Amino acid sequence: MANSRYFWRAFRENRGAVVGLAIVLALIFIAIFAPMLAPHDPIEQFRGFTKLPPFWVDGHDPRFILGTDAVGRDMLSRLMYGARVSLFIGLAVMVVSMVVGIALGLSAAFFGGLIDVAIIRVMDLIQAIPSLVLAILIIAIIGPTLTNTIIAVTIVGLPRYVRLLRASALSELSKDYVTAARVSGVRKFRLMTVTVLPNCLAPLIVQAALGISDAILEAAGLGFLGLGAQPPTPEWGAMLADTRDLMVSHPWVMAFPGIAILITVLAINMMGDGLRDALDPRLRKS
Amino acid sequence: MFRFFLRRLLLTLPTFFALMFVTFVMIRLVPGDPIEVRRGERGIDPTRLAELRHEMGLDQPIWKQFYDYVMAILHGDFGTSTVSKTPILHEFAALFPATLELTICAMAFAIILGIPAGVFAASRRGSAVDQAMMGAALTGYSMPIFWWGLILIVLMSNTLGLTPVSGRIDLIKFYYDTPTGFMLIDSLLSGQKGAFWDAVHHLILPTIVLGTVPLAVIARMTRSAMLEVLEEDYVRTARAKGLSPLRVTGLHALRNALIPVVAVIGLQIGGLLAGAVLTETIFSWPGVGKWLVESIGRRDYPALQGGIMLISIVVIVVNLLVDLINGYLNPRVSHGQ
Repeated sequence: MANSRYFWRAFRENRGAVVGLAIVLALIFIAIFAPMLAPHDPIEQFRGFTKLPPFWVDGHDPRFILGTDAVGRDMLSRLMYGARVSLFIGLAVMVVSMVVGIALGLSAAFFGGLIDVAIIRVMDLIQAIPSLVLAILIIAIIGPTLTNTIIAVTIVGLPRYVRLLRASALSELSKDYVTAARVSGVRKFRLMTVTVLPNCLAPLIVQAALGISDAILEAAGLGFLGLGAQPPTPEWGAMLADTRDLMVSHPWVMAFPGIAILITVLAINMMGDGLRDALDPRLRKS
Repeated sequence: MFRFFLRRLLLTLPTFFALMFVTFVMIRLVPGDPIEVRRGERGIDPTRLAELRHEMGLDQPIWKQFYDYVMAILHGDFGTSTVSKTPILHEFAALFPATLELTICAMAFAIILGIPAGVFAASRRGSAVDQAMMGAALTGYSMPIFWWGLILIVLMSNTLGLTPVSGRIDLIKFYYDTPTGFMLIDSLLSGQKGAFWDAVHHLILPTIVLGTVPLAVIARMTRSAMLEVLEEDYVRTARAKGLSPLRVTGLHALRNALIPVVAVIGLQIGGLLAGAVLTETIFSWPGVGKWLVESIGRRDYPALQGGIMLISIVVIVVNLLVDLINGYLNPRVSHGQ
């Protein structure tokens, strides 16, 4: 408890981080309660109400606060449901990466030898291919769906988790408390999970926060290329993809989804910076 | 140093072979038989099918197919596009200079602005300027670049009319010949008046869009490296000796702060080649990124396979060079483990 109070105090010092956290909480709230908050169905097309401008521009309709897109779908509702899709992708990628990254990273550090070499070689390979190109390759094989986006983005980001965990586990392994635990007969599995793992978590949590924002950006990029979530799913990247013909005449249709991505990613990154400062005193700027 | 180089070189070999294995497996995982995909709706008669299978080596045992694939690549044969029927290596070689030119410009943009910005922010640490710059850097780092590109097109091209919307040069005005493939050089060589400036104009927006993320990363990295170095004893000594602040930060501190920055710059290059996919798509830039995305649309899997192989080779080589430069700048890297 004293720990968490200390953590909060350190986190609070970074004003940007607190703002980021507030925005992230608001976004999570919107994502969860989108069906109740959204004024319309995100995929319902209102005939005769296409390309309406947002409320501060002349010619708007009070029923569509942020206007409508090319086929008359309510922008605000689509953005709200889009928060669901993006946050879901980000969280899913993060959770899977954490679990797989911990398993592979710990195994590499503990078993060493061939297992270590094999795991690190595979990670090298993944990193040798530019991330978006690899994601595109994976999508080309398994097909463009929301689930496959999550799989592709997870694979692409995995090496960072594995390397981070392996490095911190290796440095922990050389410490006295681990030797002490070993000598006192703690089993290998317990040593890995109960003794060493908790001490490797701080940098991993920071990586997880940054991993969420990376995943959201990458998934939106895939959506933009038409390789992510498919229409009519209200995914922010995909919403941008078909606004090119409208961007001069109806710039807001293009502006809103991008602003949504930027705000989300920025807020998570600001929060991540604060987490890093609070969790890893060595990296503190102060 | 030589031993370090040799070891790094040897370490890339397994990665290279694994890469061949993955691209080989990938083409076999793609849904649909490669022949079935090609035959179209009208069907194909069985003898022709067998002929095609034999031609593509698909009637061989799988290990033989892999052996042939590896041998072909080692001989510089990266397959043939099913759509244009030209060797992948030729297509890649024709498009790669465009991507390379864009990547170099974006990197130059990021380095030229990023390092001074980081040094400046570090020297005014905690001030409003520092906070504003770091806020901007974090925003740039969080930017969805495909959207950033669209915004810049609307602002700069459509509203202000400052820059062209797409392509590398105005093909209506200027004669198009590509002795080097680098438009900046080719347009100069062509001797046509205004061609070079037209090429520069076409490069501005793509450069900004592709360079934004590395600019943010480099500025942040330079700042934190400078802050660390400024605390060191030798900097204090230099200050105590009465050297001018500019000489202390510019010479003593910056030199050492640049070591991690160079490492980060190297890491960014692979990311830039990936970012080029989005940038090239937005600006219709005829490079390998756009070509790869289009290959998916055309179901041109050999192009995808060969293209990914070639891009990855470029990234592996770049990373090798970056490691060597790092080893040279920071002997602790080359002598340690």
